[in-house]
Formats: sequence, structure tokens, C-alpha cells
Amino acid sequence: MKLPKLDIFTLSLWIITIGLFLFFLFKDKKKTLNSTKVAKGMMGGLLGDLMGILFLIGLILTFVPPETIKTLLGKSNVYLATIISAFAGSVTLIPAFIAFPLVGSLVKVGASIVPAVAFLTTLTMVGFVTFPLEKKELGFKFALWRNSLSFVFALIIAFVMGVVA
Amino acid sequence: MKILEKIKKNKLLSAVIFTYIVLLITMPDKAIAAINNSMYYVFEMLLIMPVIFILTSLTEAWVPKEVIINGFGEKSGFKGNIFAFLLGSFSAGPIYAAFPVCRMLLKKGASIANIVIVLSTWAVIKVPMLANEAKFLGPKFMATRWVFTTISIFIMAYFIAKAVKKEDMPEEEETNQSEVSVNQDYCIGCGVCASICPKIFYMEDKKALARNEVIAGPMVEKVNKAAKACPANAINYA
Repeated sequence: MKLPKLDIFTLSLWIITIGLFLFFLFKDKKKTLNSTKVAKGMMGGLLGDLMGILFLIGLILTFVPPETIKTLLGKSNVYLATIISAFAGSVTLIPAFIAFPLVGSLVKVGASIVPAVAFLTTLTMVGFVTFPLEKKELGFKFALWRNSLSFVFALIIAFVMGVVA
Repeated sequence: MKILEKIKKNKLLSAVIFTYIVLLITMPDKAIAAINNSMYYVFEMLLIMPVIFILTSLTEAWVPKEVIINGFGEKSGFKGNIFAFLLGSFSAGPIYAAFPVCRMLLKKGASIANIVIVLSTWAVIKVPMLANEAKFLGPKFMATRWVFTTISIFIMAYFIAKAVKKEDMPEEEETNQSEVSVNQDYCIGCGVCASICPKIFYMEDKKALARNEVIAGPMVEKVNKAAKACPANAINYA
């Protein structure tokens, strides 16, 4: 079994995070410990979906050959793949936190980053499912403008990143 | 009965587990290969999860949200935009939890542009999520996407403020209740209200509910504290 290495980036994140945690723990123990309960409640509800996605990644990597991912989501098919990914991101409602490993695994085996960026950006910024709620709180006109502009900008960000990154 | 409910609540996980069971019977070598492939990502996640978890907790507790919120009124200008950007960046919870927060900000006099900024930053570029993105897609990917998304958000805020006026926003509904209720659409099930004020709030099915009781005396302050602490601003208490 291949295990991930603890790279310098993750290591520095750990050091910074532990440092911050100790600092705030020292400042106010009760407040800081209480806050972990809130976060536990927020993230606890996601564990089921998270495990589902992680084990789905294994299935995809085992059964879909990298060549297929390269043809479907790779450089040769980039415009169509990007627009479909942007639509897929708009209608799905999964937390980005769960989407990153899935998208990361596809990019690793050869998917282009352009559709990846489009999916990640619309996933979080454009909400088909949450549109009725947004309309109720902030009005139809606002919701329509915000969601359609976000969709357009997600595509722009994706294509620009394809050029520079 | 209980198992059925669990399956219903975790549709994706149940479907994946079912697929693995079928595979283990029909082609066990493929199933083991798939588990091995997944374990790599499970370990990656375990490496980053505690970091996201602690960062989310610290943001919830220590970002002075009230100071930030008071920083962006109607005429707060560029400084207001920056405050809106900070509020969105240091929030936790999904985008729909941001709607009632934005509603509250509007009531406090925030401009349309700043509402767009809060909502969009809240959705795409929250700090704990950036750590996660960098882990799975690389720090360079994360940083580049952050730069372009930030620029886009400011451009969008400018255009939407031109196109949408405050008159287009829905009127404030008259809430004339002295009872407490939790808006089920927005509750993210974090349980903070139930831990602050367990006499009134309780958790059921990953959502908070309020008991139908008259609130008086010292309870008033506790309910107010819980309503303020709610990260989704989902507690209605007049």
C-alpha cells in the first residue's frame, strides 16, 4: 500500500495550527475548548459523505483507466469538459471540503485543471439547489444576477488558470 | 428500522459499501486494489483533517465578528469591502448558512456590493478550506485560484451593485413572536445552541429544535446568547 508522505507544506500547516491553538488555549481555555464542540458538530455530519467519496475515489481509480480520464477530462476535450463540469458544479450540493480529494485524484491521473477549477468554483459559488432560499432572503433579482455572474466568472477563472498555471 | 434510516441518511456511503461487498464476492482482487487506492486518500485526509478542524474552531470562537460587522455600513467605502472580505474568509459552514447572515447585515445597513463580497468569499475562499485545497491540489493551484477568485468577486460586487437596488430586496417580514424557533432551512446542526442553553434547545436528526416554552428571567439572556452564537443566524427570537 502506498502511503502519503508528510510534505513540508502540511508540516508547516500543522506547526502553525498547533501554535495558534496553544496560544488561544492559553488566552481562554474554556472558550477555545468550547469552540471545538461547534466544529465537531459542523464536521461530524459530513463524515458519512466524506468516507463515501474517499472510497469512491478508489473505485474510480481502479476501474476507470487513466487514458479514459485523460480523453474525457484532458487537454484534447477541454472546452466541452469545462462547460459540463461547470454545470455539474452548479447543480451539486456537496461541501468543497469533500470535493477537493475527488478532484485532486482526477487531476493526478491526467485530468486538465481547467474543468477542475470550473467545477470547484461553481460548486461553491453557484447554487441551483439553494436558489429558492437565496431568492427568499435576498430577492429574485439579486439571486439571479449573483448566480449567473458567478457562473460566467467561474468559466473565466478556469480558462485563465489553464493559461497561467 | 434503525438501519434503514441510517442507509437513507448516508446514501452515498451505503451505495459505495454495497458496491464493495458485491466486488469482494465477484472480483476480490479488484476490490482489494480499490481499497488500497482509497486508503491513500484516507491517510491524506487524516493528515489534514485535524488542521481544518482546529482552524474552523478557532475561527468560530476568536474572529471578532461584531467588530467586523460594524465596519461596513452604507458609506464605509473600500474599508467596508475589506471588512466584508474578511468576514466571508473567516466563516464556517456552507453557503446557505450565509443567507440569513446577509439578511441581518442588510438590516444593519450593509451595501449590496458588500453583501456580494461576503456571500462569495464565504462560499469559495474560506481559510480552513484553503488549507484543504492546497493539500489535495497543491499550494500553487490554491494560491492562483485564490488570486483570480478574489479579483472576480470584487468585479462582480461592482456590477451587481449597479444592477440590483435595495428596493429589489424582499421586505422584512413582521415577526411578532415571543417564542423561540430555529429555522430548519438554515440550521447546520452544530449544536452550539444546545450546549449554551440545553433547557430550550435540543438536537434531533442533526438539526436543532426549540422547546415550546415561555422564556423569562435568566433564560432570556441565555437564549439571546445562543441566538448570537449561532453561526448561521438561524435562531428567531424577538
